[in-house]
Amino acid sequence: MSEPSEGHTFKAYDGALSDLRLRAHAMGGLVADQVETAVRALLESDREAAELVLIREQQINTYQTEIEAEIFGLLARRAPVASDLRMVLAISRAVTDLERAGDESKKIARFALASIGRTAAGPSRIMHKPLRHMAELASESMRVAVDALDRGDAQVAHEVARLDREIDQEFEAALRQLLTVAMERTRLLRTMFDTVFALKSLERIGDHAKNVAEHVVFLVSGADVRHAAAREHDMPAKVTQH
Amino acid sequence: MRGSAPDDENLVVKSRAEGLSFYYGQVKALKDLSIEIREKRVTALIGPSGCGKTTFLRCFNRMHDLTPGTRYEGKIILFPDSIDLVARDVDPIEVRMRIGMVFQKPNPFPKSIFENVAYGLRVRGMRSNARIEEEVEQALRRAALWEEVKDRMESSGLSLSGGQQQRLCIARALATNPEILLFDEPTSALDPIATARIEELIAELRDQVTVIIVTHNMQQAARVSDYTAFMYLGELIEFDNTSKLFTNPSQKATEDYITGRYG
Repeated sequence: MSEPSEGHTFKAYDGALSDLRLRAHAMGGLVADQVETAVRALLESDREAAELVLIREQQINTYQTEIEAEIFGLLARRAPVASDLRMVLAISRAVTDLERAGDESKKIARFALASIGRTAAGPSRIMHKPLRHMAELASESMRVAVDALDRGDAQVAHEVARLDREIDQEFEAALRQLLTVAMERTRLLRTMFDTVFALKSLERIGDHAKNVAEHVVFLVSGADVRHAAAREHDMPAKVTQH
Repeated sequence: MRGSAPDDENLVVKSRAEGLSFYYGQVKALKDLSIEIREKRVTALIGPSGCGKTTFLRCFNRMHDLTPGTRYEGKIILFPDSIDLVARDVDPIEVRMRIGMVFQKPNPFPKSIFENVAYGLRVRGMRSNARIEEEVEQALRRAALWEEVKDRMESSGLSLSGGQQQRLCIARALATNPEILLFDEPTSALDPIATARIEELIAELRDQVTVIIVTHNMQQAARVSDYTAFMYLGELIEFDNTSKLFTNPSQKATEDYITGRYG
């Protein structure tokens, strides 16, 4: 594939594409922050943090609607080709993943709010560490993926894939740990379920970050690595062009 | 660059330019072009003004022979009989019988619709009126014009609309059953509806004849062609499947041109 020169002859086109990238980056930053805030709300029984996540969820939806409308207009008016077309498609796909990751944060915030009202509030202390660790990994992988989308840097896709593997391993370990706790302390079953759902949401967020990274590979090289990655549970060692 | 045909299809090569250079006096307008044209496929030539795409197209039917001081180097082989279209000893009239051309501006003869199409047949020595009538109807049908003109075959070709005139010129070119049909910006003088009809017609002709089209309209190249060649300053920069070239070109110059970063 080839690197295009800076700037189109038609400057307004440059403006529209750059605006699209900026909005996608801002949306991605917000989603990463939502993940951290939602988990803090859950672990610290922080009602304010949980409510903030729910309010900002609306902002994420607005970003999605606006970015997609912008893409719709760009396709109709500019008929982008080559790297421009790949960028528009990559952002369009990434926005869907970002919105879904936002939804997962919303679910975690809802668990947090629900558990604040209960006597046996929040997840068992023993689960705090894996939850916090998974939240850090999920949030970091989302930030890395979104930065890569902004910079058009396919190399970091491998880093996101590594983080996703780590999240998956953490998830498996946390489930085993929860099972042991649940068998010993059956009265905590309700909070255990909430914890499992929260862990699952974090695991899904990791998947969405990996998807975003795969869209970056497509943007840069034109290669569709989505299903290759599903087969190998990894990014290909070398990006091949089609 | 050598424009070896993309190897994703096992198609027959209809024509091959081999190290083709072309001179207007001292000016080298085409520089060592090598490209394979696939049979019964549409190949588009794109590139900025002055890149040599029309010059290249005109080599195929020896249109340059009419301009003094021009010179060819290299070959354009036409298959299956492997004749060199630009060889001195090959008769340009014979070449033009096998390779038809449709120009930018519709240029019907100031004759009736019927005579416009019959002309080439008569030049080829066809004498039977019944046969000529049959061939004219066939050509007009292939050019998707028959239904519109069948009741006024004696009207002047110039009485038709621009789009109809262009389809008449296509019928005229098709009448002699050419092996390759060259289109030089065939829709640049037409409105969007007439343009769409010509593009649809090119898509229909694809099964019958090998088409090479020069166009400034990149979306047109993307719509109608199977293969696209990008030319710049008399050189062939990139030649590939149209889908590949418009989604993931391998050359920076192609990328810049098709995305509008050129100049």
